[in-house]
Amino acid sequence: MFRFEQVSRYPLKKMDFQIEKKEKVILFGPSGSGKSTILFLFNRLHNPTEGTIYFEGQNVKEYPFTELRKRVGLVLQEPNLFPGTVLDNIKYGPSLFGEWKEEDGELLMGYVQLPSTYLNRDVEQLSGGEKQRVSLARTLANQPEVLLLDEPTSALDYRTAEDIEEVLEQLINQHELTMIMVTHDMRQARRLGSRGLFITEGEVMEDGKLPDMLDSPASQALKEFLEE
Amino acid sequence: MEPEISNQSLLFLVVFVLIPLSLSYFYQLGLNKNIIWSSLRGTVQLFAIGYLLTYLFELPAIIGIPFMISIMLTVAAFHARKKGKGLPNVLLYIFIGLLVIEVSVLGLWLIFDMVAFTPSEVIPMSGMVIGNSMVAMGLALERMKNEFKENNGRLLAALSLGAKPSVASKLIVQKTLNAALIPNVDQLKTIGLVQLPGMMTGLILGGVAPVTAIKYQLVISISIFSSVSLSAMFITLAMYRYFFNEQGQLVDSEEEIRSEA
Repeated sequence: MFRFEQVSRYPLKKMDFQIEKKEKVILFGPSGSGKSTILFLFNRLHNPTEGTIYFEGQNVKEYPFTELRKRVGLVLQEPNLFPGTVLDNIKYGPSLFGEWKEEDGELLMGYVQLPSTYLNRDVEQLSGGEKQRVSLARTLANQPEVLLLDEPTSALDYRTAEDIEEVLEQLINQHELTMIMVTHDMRQARRLGSRGLFITEGEVMEDGKLPDMLDSPASQALKEFLEE
Repeated sequence: MEPEISNQSLLFLVVFVLIPLSLSYFYQLGLNKNIIWSSLRGTVQLFAIGYLLTYLFELPAIIGIPFMISIMLTVAAFHARKKGKGLPNVLLYIFIGLLVIEVSVLGLWLIFDMVAFTPSEVIPMSGMVIGNSMVAMGLALERMKNEFKENNGRLLAALSLGAKPSVASKLIVQKTLNAALIPNVDQLKTIGLVQLPGMMTGLILGGVAPVTAIKYQLVISISIFSSVSLSAMFITLAMYRYFFNEQGQLVDSEEEIRSEA
């Protein structure tokens, strides 16, 4: 589905890897190793300085950026909701493409396990966990084929983070989405991922199955990272 | 008799400067130099402009007005540019914006016979329009830069949902315009109640009847209100797109990454 060919952009150095449809990939590694940069490259919020990224066999540059971003949804670490109601937020994406249907509101609330009465609630009144659920619903509203998640639970407490994980697990399995997630939480990586890419100093140091690669790390760098 | 302040009386203005100067000295605000410099500069500038205006008012309108307005536009554009430092072509946009606004406002004044085409009327009134528009453009540019920084996450969220830059930055544009226009709206609301506006005060001090002074004040207040709105809108809509590149990416975040390199 995605192919990186000799892709570099600070702090990444010549990356080569491929991600298949419906894979659940976890990008992990020390801070500053370039994990979020990789995510932003997938939906062209960043451009590589060198190399080529292919999506469905076609250079990402050949897609209109609006279409690519609709198909490759991103959930950021902070919810970054727009001022207004929950409904204003979740219809934002589909409205851009003239695809919003009123009945979708209830459906999306169901996906992220929030009551539909929340639709008319001002986003300022929501808790941190609820805001992140709305952010997730907002991305899902575009019906993406790929879900990019940039540490979506790192700003939340343990309990709320677990609830969001559960929502994510169900959604990804139910909709057969391709998931690429950055996380520092190895428990979360084990729960949600099927493949891990250990990124350090801008390079893919290890690429393997989860949870095997965490149980028996091949490189010294990964061993040390897991012991930290 | 024409009211006039004697030169001796004027000298006592030093007392007014000494007050902030001593405050700065005792509280170690570090503003001493600035206070002395700006007071001296202001005085010299005003006297210079006084003599220049006396000369210009004697020139034929067709020469004096364009000459002075060109100077005002150039100085205002260079001044407002400071707030938009780093934005491409900002000086040109500000200059064109101010020029179009000034010409339109002046055109309307003349068409509707509100102002006579004489240097003594057009120059001071144009100065007020250009000056206020300059402040509005500066405020809008400064605010817009801050809003782009503060709302980086929201902008990324909007772009990642497939929004084009023009749609993604709608919130920023709204906030910028709001911030640039609110002081002006507030001023118009309380005009005459909280403070007597400068022009009206000047005319009354100069011996003009209050009702006549009010008519001039109305013309200038409404003209300023509309030119300030136009200035803020023009510069915001002209400049917001420079925060994005052609691929709908935030230029700021690109620069940050480059600077980390």
